[in-house]
Amino acid sequence: MTASPSHLDLLEAESIHIFREAAAQFRKPVLMYSIGKDSTVLLHLARKAFFPQKPPFPLLHVDTTWKFRDMIAFRDKTARDFGLDLIVHKNQEGLKQGINPIDYSPSIYTDVLKTQGLKQALDKYGFDAAFGGARRDEEASRAKERVFSFRAAGHRWDPRKQRPEMWRLLNGRLGMGESVRVFPMSNWTEKDVWRYILREKLDVVPLYLAKDRPTIERNGQLLMQDDERLQPKEGEKVVMRKIRFRTLGCYPLTAAVASDAEDLESVVAETINAQTSERVGRLIDHDQSGAMEKKKQEGYF
Amino acid sequence: MTAQAALKTSTLHAATAASAPAALRDLNGIVHLLTCGSVDDGKSTLIGRLLWDASDLYEDQRENVRRSGRKAADSDLPDFSMLLDGLVAEREQGITIDIAWKYFDTETRRFVIIDSPGHEQYTRNMASGASFADVAILLVDARAGVKKQTKRHAAILDLVGVKRVVLAVNKMDLVGYSEDVFRKIEADFRTLCWKFGFWDATAIPLSAVYGDNVSTKSSAMPWYTGPHLLEHLEKAPSRGSAEGGTFRFPVQTVLRDGQDFRGLAGTISSGSVAVGDSVTDALSGRSAKVVRIATMNGDLKSATSGQAIALQLDVDIDVSRGAVLSTSEMRPVAAQTVEARLVWLSETAFDPRAGYLLRTVTDLVPISSFEIKALLDLETMSSHPSTKCGVNDIAVARISLGRSAAIDVFSEISETGTLMIVDAITGASMAGGVATADNAKSDAPGDGHFILTREMLANGLCRDLSLSANDREEFMRRANEAAILLRAAGVSVAIEPPPLVDDGMDPGL
Repeated sequence: MTASPSHLDLLEAESIHIFREAAAQFRKPVLMYSIGKDSTVLLHLARKAFFPQKPPFPLLHVDTTWKFRDMIAFRDKTARDFGLDLIVHKNQEGLKQGINPIDYSPSIYTDVLKTQGLKQALDKYGFDAAFGGARRDEEASRAKERVFSFRAAGHRWDPRKQRPEMWRLLNGRLGMGESVRVFPMSNWTEKDVWRYILREKLDVVPLYLAKDRPTIERNGQLLMQDDERLQPKEGEKVVMRKIRFRTLGCYPLTAAVASDAEDLESVVAETINAQTSERVGRLIDHDQSGAMEKKKQEGYF
Repeated sequence: MTAQAALKTSTLHAATAASAPAALRDLNGIVHLLTCGSVDDGKSTLIGRLLWDASDLYEDQRENVRRSGRKAADSDLPDFSMLLDGLVAEREQGITIDIAWKYFDTETRRFVIIDSPGHEQYTRNMASGASFADVAILLVDARAGVKKQTKRHAAILDLVGVKRVVLAVNKMDLVGYSEDVFRKIEADFRTLCWKFGFWDATAIPLSAVYGDNVSTKSSAMPWYTGPHLLEHLEKAPSRGSAEGGTFRFPVQTVLRDGQDFRGLAGTISSGSVAVGDSVTDALSGRSAKVVRIATMNGDLKSATSGQAIALQLDVDIDVSRGAVLSTSEMRPVAAQTVEARLVWLSETAFDPRAGYLLRTVTDLVPISSFEIKALLDLETMSSHPSTKCGVNDIAVARISLGRSAAIDVFSEISETGTLMIVDAITGASMAGGVATADNAKSDAPGDGHFILTREMLANGLCRDLSLSANDREEFMRRANEAAILLRAAGVSVAIEPPPLVDDGMDPGL
């Protein structure tokens, strides 16, 4: 018996194995790139899986037009630096209808600009497999997710029609109209993501680091005023606060935390000692009970 | 990033790791725990208790449990099982029908809990969950002891290759923490394990609700001198820490850099490989030398089981996805026929007229004939002739392939002996299983076996070994090695497993 290997090395190897299986089994895969820390790790693992070749698939970003400006800049720089194809898709009909996260409920907004947008993009380009950075530790309904998660025609996720997985055998043979979401980071935890970012010295969006930023306090949560589209309501005001983000999404729906962690090491230290799990900061999950599972059945991720 | 830049990064990382606080360091390995038992045995409470006691739960998760006001059965303590809830439908039904994955860290180690349902109608779920497990926790109620269900569970664990089993004798508080009750159950458990290939089988008396022997030593059971559950689990070897083993490298895909690099990408499933080694393609018999082991972190001199790498060979021996590289002496069989034990996973029963494919780790092979020979009764381990097979059945099957595929006997080299039956039309995963015999000829495999008997091995090759857990592992390693050599030479061979660990207890035979 030799010494135990590092758990991150084991997780990395498993993810690489999954990337290679999917790339070998599917006709036209794509990597769903959402710019945050999980996507950063996902992309890094993809690059490792196919080194010295470039990953044999493009990146897809479904842009709601409400992402933080720093995220968009980071996205474009990442694609440029690594020489990867980047597809940016916006749900134009949804935008024309004026759907936005300030006037509409999170569930309507998410459905139109994210879920429908993603389905449009996958259909438009004919992708049969989409890599995502989802982890089983994120949320209760994801705890049962497969590595190859099958979607029926119309991208519907049916919990009862998921394929059993065994050992390291990954069955990616598609039936008529089926497509698949592939989750190479299924067995990673939030802490692993940070540990790995630190270990591999990966660049992340600066919003993860604390800085003085203009904020509005709403329903007990701190929102950042990233542009003029978010205005204080009566009784609210814009206050400069030192904040950072634990997750990144659409800025009016992403709560910040007050923090002094200005470098990655401090962020990770704070995260490791955190008292709340990360999705507390993501407002859509509080929308209704079993929210994430319902979104999945509708095709959100 | 260039390879050089990547190397520089990893040097920087070494400096960081040395100065980083303990919490930021990598953990020592991962152990996957399968928990099986029924709701009544208090399984969710036990897992919840482990998470509550031993792990780094977030405060909002703890608060959720406290705030719910729900109480664990027969107590005033919080309902720890709430930490385990899953799909809405299941929550409403109050049962667990699917496998749920849960993660927790102790100071030095990552644990992955694979929670699977225990009832007979969920045999398939348990088998698929068990296939990922390093250690299985079999849960029984101290008032009921070892039941038929426990036997069925042990049989499934053995079938999918779990080597380490813990019998958690729960609800000891309800039998007055009685040593007699525990010893009786422990003896039954040993009798039960005798016929299986487990390396380690340990029984621990505990109370999940009160935390006795879960993550602290119980003061209520001074007669028990063994480890508490967490202590026992922390000693289990991590995945990827096994040394030695016969080299197997299933090729996943071929990588090119647009110039002269042609790398065979894959994960080493067993053994190790070094630059300069000669490797052989099992199907063609062609060999080549490894000239480079490439990763983005820089080239390696050698790599071992579990590592994902790309191998560059000195000559192009025309291998691609589906090939399995090995040494030339100990090659997997280029099988035309396979005898297998299958767990039928699909609601759709076996149909002799349907088209099926066989998936191995990286190959997908057409099946030319597929015959169910018998079904296994897991409670008695007896087999009954049958040509039919449906959901949750364990079947003995004979499969002929449309072309040769590199397949090992699962009990000798596990990963390259794993199989999945795929519906050719729908792509559905119909059954998962293990190869029990294979043959390069297209006629009957498994017939005319040469058997390496327990006695033959104990008196010869393994004469220096005792019956301790470590020696049992070594016994199997040597026996496997002998079988692989014989098989590579064309002899159809099987191994009789060694007796279970002798720790002075009456095996009950």
